[in-house]
Amino acid sequence: MNKYHFSLILLVLAACMAQQFSPAIATLFGARILILPLVYLCCCVCVDFASMLLLAFICGFLWDAQHTLGAQGGDSTIYADPVESLRFGYSMILYAMMGLFMQFMQPLFRKAKWHTSTILAGVGIFSYLFAEYLLLNFVRGDFTFPPSVLYRIYLSSALTMFASPFIFWIISQLASSYHYNIRYEGLRQKFRYID
Amino acid sequence: MKPQNLIALLLFVVGAVWALTRSERTVRNIQSSYYSAISPFLKSGAAIETKAFDFIQEVEHSKKWEMKYKLAKEELDQRRMEVAHLRKLEAENTHLNQALKFQENVPFHVIAAKIIRRQPSTWWHTVTIDRGDKHGVGVQLPVLSPEGLVGKIDAPSKDTSTVILLTDEKCQVSAKIDGTPEAGIVSGLRDTAEGSPHLLLRFLSKDANIKPGMLVLTTGRGGLFPADILLGTIKTFEPGPLFGEALVEPAVDFKALKTVFVKIPKPLTSVREIGAATANSTGR
Repeated sequence: MNKYHFSLILLVLAACMAQQFSPAIATLFGARILILPLVYLCCCVCVDFASMLLLAFICGFLWDAQHTLGAQGGDSTIYADPVESLRFGYSMILYAMMGLFMQFMQPLFRKAKWHTSTILAGVGIFSYLFAEYLLLNFVRGDFTFPPSVLYRIYLSSALTMFASPFIFWIISQLASSYHYNIRYEGLRQKFRYID
Repeated sequence: MKPQNLIALLLFVVGAVWALTRSERTVRNIQSSYYSAISPFLKSGAAIETKAFDFIQEVEHSKKWEMKYKLAKEELDQRRMEVAHLRKLEAENTHLNQALKFQENVPFHVIAAKIIRRQPSTWWHTVTIDRGDKHGVGVQLPVLSPEGLVGKIDAPSKDTSTVILLTDEKCQVSAKIDGTPEAGIVSGLRDTAEGSPHLLLRFLSKDANIKPGMLVLTTGRGGLFPADILLGTIKTFEPGPLFGEALVEPAVDFKALKTVFVKIPKPLTSVREIGAATANSTGR
């Protein structure tokens, strides 16, 4: 852990604050720019496995602290069929999975041009939102997937991915400021120790 | 796998299991601390947003006036601007009067709150209001508007609170149809398009005589919401094999909501009470 990693943690916290002011666009099916997941995804490409897990924990914790809904409440004889919600902590797992995906993709970023990185970030956000919605359906039952949900996921991913070159630029500036060498090795090289 | 990665993975799993096994109370405390920490940002952000909105409106108006300036005399434009300003004040005055009358007329104690943030999450229908623990706002308290029921408080913090809207699937309300013996549970639909949020009234009799336009009101049962608060009007009714379901058009225009009222157990009248509430909320 060095200054570069601390600066990324600060960047994540700043993204969390910025996320508060990212409105849902009603005309685009409630799509929004997901700043915190985007910053996390971009950071995942530029750090090692252990740091990625630390960031997943921090981001998941902050996300759930903001979004977890409370219990149903009220008289259980009247509200006999309570609607379940996603538990506090589930985002950590989702973030870690998303981070793992980006770690696998790391070598692609080594000589990638900006549009490859942008598309990969978009794919990451799409997978995250899709997994979150599937999880929501799983805990609540009655699988439904109306077109508005697909549009919301797709448009949120599209809006968010266009912001990714800027985030990558910030991270590269931080890396050069703190003389950190981003290696883009991916997980393949590390997994050979299992054999 | 490298030893340091294995240790990191184990620590992460322990951390995730710790988070997933937290009790409701602990999660509420974490959320309260989180919102207390970010509430200054939220409030200042909302103020900046309002100023920016006013500025944009001002710019739009300026452009319009410039167009008109070419067509009419300067004096006439000046008068029109004055009239427009007065109309704006009049509309604002009417709105505030309605809010004041509502606050005076309801048979229980309410506290007015301004919406400072709309739908912060991707999947939940929630808003954030500028009233919290220190104003007497507590968890599960009903949130109303002059048009009808808005939702209930989900997570209060010291200065702000999250309101779960009636249009969210998680917000369930015991409801009845006015003029009939029919009663059921109203909740939001899982994912409705932003433009047309409807409610679903379930557990009605399958052969109920329900017609579009009938009023849907709260029953007061279940211990969360007061009785006879308007929820909406029946749009369609579908008899099922066991129960009937009705689609309900909400009475409240959720997109236009700016001010809401939280039903509180009793008003915090004295400075001493407010101070005590503040001390309690900070001491948690």
